[in-house]
Amino acid sequence: MPSLDRVLNPKTVAVIGDKKASGYMWLKSLETFTGNLYSVQLDEKEIPGIEELGVTNYSSLGEIPEPVDFVVCAVPRQVSPFIVKDCVANDVGGVTLFTSGFAETGEEEGKVLQDQIEEMAREGDLALIGPNCMGLHIPGLGIRFNRDQPAGTTGDVGFISQSGTHGMNFSLTGAAQGVICSKLISFGNGIILEAADYLEYLADDDDTKFIGMYIEGARDGPRLIKALRYATSKKPVVTWKGGQTAAGSRATQSHTASLATNQAVWESIVRQCGALAVDSLDEMVDVIKTLRLSKPAKGRGVGLLAMTGGQSVVMTDAFAKEGWDVPTLSDTSYEKFSEFFNVIGGSYQNPLDMAGTIGQDPKNFDKILEILEEDPGLDALVMELSATFMARRWKDKPEELERLLDSIVNFRDRSDKPILTVLHPSHLEAEALAARLKLQERGIAVFANFERAANAMAKVATLGESDS
Amino acid sequence: MSHAIIEAARSEGRSLLSEVEAKAILADAGVPVTTTKLATGADEAVALAGDLGYPVALKVVSATITHKSDIGGVELGLDDADAVRSAFDRIAAAAQAADPDGSMDGVSVQPMAAPGTEVIMGITQDAQFGPVLMFGLGGVLVEVLKDVAFRVVPLEQRDARQMVREIQGFPVLEGYRGAAPADLDALEAILLQLSQFAEANPEVSELDLNPIFAYDDGAIAVDARIVLA
Repeated sequence: MPSLDRVLNPKTVAVIGDKKASGYMWLKSLETFTGNLYSVQLDEKEIPGIEELGVTNYSSLGEIPEPVDFVVCAVPRQVSPFIVKDCVANDVGGVTLFTSGFAETGEEEGKVLQDQIEEMAREGDLALIGPNCMGLHIPGLGIRFNRDQPAGTTGDVGFISQSGTHGMNFSLTGAAQGVICSKLISFGNGIILEAADYLEYLADDDDTKFIGMYIEGARDGPRLIKALRYATSKKPVVTWKGGQTAAGSRATQSHTASLATNQAVWESIVRQCGALAVDSLDEMVDVIKTLRLSKPAKGRGVGLLAMTGGQSVVMTDAFAKEGWDVPTLSDTSYEKFSEFFNVIGGSYQNPLDMAGTIGQDPKNFDKILEILEEDPGLDALVMELSATFMARRWKDKPEELERLLDSIVNFRDRSDKPILTVLHPSHLEAEALAARLKLQERGIAVFANFERAANAMAKVATLGESDS
Repeated sequence: MSHAIIEAARSEGRSLLSEVEAKAILADAGVPVTTTKLATGADEAVALAGDLGYPVALKVVSATITHKSDIGGVELGLDDADAVRSAFDRIAAAAQAADPDGSMDGVSVQPMAAPGTEVIMGITQDAQFGPVLMFGLGGVLVEVLKDVAFRVVPLEQRDARQMVREIQGFPVLEGYRGAAPADLDALEAILLQLSQFAEANPEVSELDLNPIFAYDDGAIAVDARIVLA
């Protein structure tokens, strides 16, 4: 297999075939690149627009005055074999082929072209990523394929995606929730390098602490299993498989030319390899967020802290449905609560209905956390923050929210028990969002509803369980 | 080096092994199966039944008959020589009626296994991931509910342990309503043997052990079907 070291740590990038009709999407996305950016374009009409962006254009790869580590190729499919040949001749670090129209079309011409570039890349030991892909996003180096992707900040999540859209959405939705990629690779048809290669690379990559993967199929199934086992021995891996149903599998065939695998078989592979399985982008972000910001719960007992009685009931249902125990507390805990807890319009059974008690005296919140931390039946805490009741107050008195966050952060830093928060969308969505961002800044995992928190925490808890 | 029986079937252009052949291969691989022998005539069937011990079961062996019980090709609980002799004649007549142009190779003779909790195990091929092992409870309900667990070959001890426990019907194996619990160690051991078997015999594209009787001490496969690629 060709090495990925140069292409995934590039100092020079060349974009081949960017054009006005696509808004110079590649060069504009890459304007944040920290190294030297070049363009290769033969079409006279396109060159002035490229130069206006401040990018030097050359008429071939060979004319670029320094070695090129990473080539983005956006030429029509008929031209792609010439570019691949040129990449080999110029010993580039690697190339991503945005170009599509290969085996995924099911047409003879596409298949023949794909075989042709595959053979050339294999012979030339070229790190070819794709074709039919969006390529690389490396925020720390300012490498992007979408102008809304973050740049100038290094994340800790390696993401591998057979789909450009899901890779892009993960990088965007994730970033909005504080989840930033170390390296994101969208690899499309994966003819030379496939998921297994990227898994092995990210497993050994020091910048990557967690791995997420969207996959539709593998050319070499047993090798994927081996790579998945290897990766999970190094760090947590979360997988999301597209084509889970018969109809969905038919779609993967035309999307990335992937074969069908029974979903039950895929899920057993994930379990066999010690990875986690999710079914959607939201779930992927939720689980990775939970992995990053909390410890795995050591058991299934959860303490639930709600602001009202009604929420305490549905919160309990949501967690119980995901297999969590919501146990009654120890006699010691109840004794301590009885000394100060306001039971008029409140309750400390577990779930807790505590708005009245912490409204009376904010110090009561720390007391509650201390009691729950000591309670032997609890392995995790989840707290509701009610924007519906509090958002207006938080806006007027931001120090009240800060004080609440200080208490949560203190708990998180000192306790072995994970603590998660839930902040529902509200009628004051701007204020709710501001509060959500504050939680995020303080490194507290926050979810939009109880169900998502319960699910993400349950998935992560399975990693803490023993093998039996 | 594949098993001589597989080689022989291959050279005859057959992909479906007989029950006798399948069980012989599995017994060599260490999988517990009821000893099953081929009898080409009634006298031979009686002699084998005497060796194996009564009661016995007789089943038609024919390359062209796949659903043995549907055509009256299965006779169970035969207690003595006379019962075996008349069962042989009935099976021969049924086979002739079901497939006048086909030829019956004979009947399989096997001792009746004591009834136990029925489970099934199988091997299928996944286009991307190769041989996959399946485990479930036996019976019609399971076919309808698809309450089965899968693992891709090769299995580790942990995988076999999880497989047996992750089916919805697991409480049945633990001894539901006073029934004797199934020997889970024995079931796990068979799963691991089948995993090794699948690895060692890539030419086996399908395998079904249906049913396996699980006891509180041990387990045994009473029917086996193997299809070659």
